[in-house]
Amino acid sequence: MKAPFTVILGLLFALAGQALAEAPETIFDTANRLYGEGKFSEATAAYEKILESGHGSAAVYFDLGNAFFKANRIGRAIAAYREAKMLSPRDPDIVANLQFARNQVQGPTLPTTWQDRWFGKLSLNEWTLAVCAAGWSWLLLLTLGQWRPALKPTLRGWAWSLGAVTLLTGACLGADYSRLVVERKAVVIADSAEVHQAPVAESPGLYTLHDGAEVRVLDAKNDWLQITTGPRRTGWVRRAELVLSR
Amino acid sequence: MLLLGDQSQFGERTRPPLRRAWVVGWICFWAAVLNAGAATFSAALDRDTITLGETANLALTCNGGQPQSEPAPPSVPNLQIVYIGPSSQFSVINNQVSSSITYNFRVIPRQAGDYAIPAMTVEVGGQKLTSQPLVLKVVKPQAAPAGVTNAAAQPALVKLALPKKSFYVGESLAAQLQLYLSSQVQSVEQFQTTSFAADGFNVGKMMQGQRRQIQMAGSIYTVIPINVVLTAVKAGSYTLGPMTVSLVLDIASPNRRRDPFFEQFGIRDPFFERSTVQQQVALATESEPVEIQAIPREKAPASFNGAVGNFSMNVTAGPTNLTEGDPITLKVQIAGRGSIDNLTMPDLPWSNFVVHPPEIKSEHSDQLGLQGTKTFEYIVTPQTADLKALPEIAFSFFDPDQKAFRTLTHPPFPLVVHPGGAVAVPSALASAHPRQEAPAPAQDIVPNKQRPGQLAQIGPPLIQRPWFLALQGTPVLALVASVLWRRRADALSNNPKLRRRRQAELAISQGFADLRRLAAENQSDAFFVTVFRVLQERLGERLDVPAGSITEAVIDERLRPLGVPEPTLSAVQELFQACNLARYAPVRSSQELSAFVPKVETTLDQLKQIKA
Repeated sequence: MKAPFTVILGLLFALAGQALAEAPETIFDTANRLYGEGKFSEATAAYEKILESGHGSAAVYFDLGNAFFKANRIGRAIAAYREAKMLSPRDPDIVANLQFARNQVQGPTLPTTWQDRWFGKLSLNEWTLAVCAAGWSWLLLLTLGQWRPALKPTLRGWAWSLGAVTLLTGACLGADYSRLVVERKAVVIADSAEVHQAPVAESPGLYTLHDGAEVRVLDAKNDWLQITTGPRRTGWVRRAELVLSR
Repeated sequence: MLLLGDQSQFGERTRPPLRRAWVVGWICFWAAVLNAGAATFSAALDRDTITLGETANLALTCNGGQPQSEPAPPSVPNLQIVYIGPSSQFSVINNQVSSSITYNFRVIPRQAGDYAIPAMTVEVGGQKLTSQPLVLKVVKPQAAPAGVTNAAAQPALVKLALPKKSFYVGESLAAQLQLYLSSQVQSVEQFQTTSFAADGFNVGKMMQGQRRQIQMAGSIYTVIPINVVLTAVKAGSYTLGPMTVSLVLDIASPNRRRDPFFEQFGIRDPFFERSTVQQQVALATESEPVEIQAIPREKAPASFNGAVGNFSMNVTAGPTNLTEGDPITLKVQIAGRGSIDNLTMPDLPWSNFVVHPPEIKSEHSDQLGLQGTKTFEYIVTPQTADLKALPEIAFSFFDPDQKAFRTLTHPPFPLVVHPGGAVAVPSALASAHPRQEAPAPAQDIVPNKQRPGQLAQIGPPLIQRPWFLALQGTPVLALVASVLWRRRADALSNNPKLRRRRQAELAISQGFADLRRLAAENQSDAFFVTVFRVLQERLGERLDVPAGSITEAVIDERLRPLGVPEPTLSAVQELFQACNLARYAPVRSSQELSAFVPKVETTLDQLKQIKA
């Protein structure tokens, strides 16, 4: 009678322990500990385990970026920092480390444009909510004007202003959506990636990209991606040498 | 069509005051709109050598500002300088706004000689600007070209003018076909070149130049120059020309003069055109012996690639601090005079570099394409980290004026090439290999965050979630619903008949509910009172009279004249009589009352068809 009870109790403890061990917060602490011990590869694996579970936060991506950076994997670090910046665009730590990592990249890379700086002040969701707030307010004002026509003269100025704000924020949202979702970006994760004239290994090389170089993806063909880093800097790179990023 | 009829081509004409005011206003407007940056002031003559009897145009151009007053023409003995008027230009290129105002003068020499036109000064925004002095050479009138002895007999003639008689293979030049028109010719039409014997040359672009007037053999001629680009291609002695042209001349009839009535309004005499005579003529130039010499290729430098002319070279390269395999953009600009389109760069056989074929861009600074800039943009990739410099760049050309080869060189560009396998390291380690152009910052990355923050499910952005997009339809639907509601309310308030109908329908609908209830409760009196009321509501609404005024008399007074069918009238009368009888007759049963309701419904439905 005592033996089965012990087995059940042990099983319950094991399950509870496993549940505790699998909690993302626990994995996060473990990953940070590994990072502190200088075990950067193990730390990156732990952070990635959190992300594989479907959970994530700007802090997880940020620490993952740090771990990659310390493991001398600049491209992966930049990709992680970019994800972190998507979630928390005004976090000064993320901005600083992303810039720091970009400064380490050699050779051609996509330059940071004024659109990146301006639209990057808000995340895509923040732009979306800004448009919704302005748009809802505008439409509700118009609705109120229909129910209470006497208020129309008072509301007219507000309605025009909110309409203009809605259009403006809508344009910003469109531009940000195009920048982040429509335009596909990628980061080189190989030590060096030869850019070829055509999507075949035998085609002549044009130039070389280095770990961390950010590129815009134009097309895909089999295992190759057509990329560009600027005017007259277009070519084909093996897909395995890049990681797609937002 | 080369039209000569416009008086402005021949002499001064008083501008209408309104037009002048418009021009001045336009200039002032732009001057006010534009910010005066670093203003410049320059003077230019359209030609530096003219024949006595001809006139030259002097243009004083002010860029980037508006002078406080029109520049006063200088006083030069034996040179009359007449102000013609201003012209302005305004351009926006790459968001850079630029403007210029040109004051045009006509220079009329009184005798042959060399004239120095002194510098002129204008004041722009409190700043005094001075133009450069100019030199004008006035030569004595030449003899008429062969064959021109009687201008009246020969209203037009052509002449081929060559800048020189000896050329080198590859040399490009602009010959000039000069069309001389006597003063009787009003306009020229259908001008075309029919043949041009130009052995040893390639004939290129033809472009009409600025017409001018000259005095020749005692007559005034209008000269229309047509520049022709010729490129010498084969060595030897040749004869250039004759060049034949055909054209139709409008020659003024000696019996008709322009009507001064139209002239005073600044418009052309509409009847004057009809007083000209058209004459088709074929003209030919004389032949000119020319010599084309071969380029002494045995003396050509290695970097000579066939360029003939006079050029300068500018070279830029970057980046110069890079990793092996990284591209360097090398830009070679050749500018000058010669056959720009045919310019080619010698190969760059550089070892340890991959040199990709250049991207070539030509820009002409003249309409004939004989002057300009050609840019060769190479992508050069260093293949080893041992390279310390881009090799020297040389470009050679044959200068036909100096009759010698000239070589332009650019010294090697120093390079810093890092090994390709090198991977950037964190700053703590990077200090051992500092970069020259972008030194690594002194601090390390910002350390880890110790809290994971709000761990949430990673999903697509809100804008890509269907439920979120569907939610955005809510305020739109609310607005649409409110607009529809408002329209309905407005329609009712603006249409009393519709409002009455709706009210009547509501009252009738409630009346039938009451009828059914009263029938069930067997309340005969109240039942028929209600029948009478719904009948009044329907008839009152249909006839547009107050419901209370409806009595049985309405049948004969209103319904019958309207042509209501007899069965409907009978049914209505039956209802009225039933209501009257109910006041005196014994109480009916509940079944009888219930059976009466459909009859009332049917009758009221029939009354709906009435149109008052």
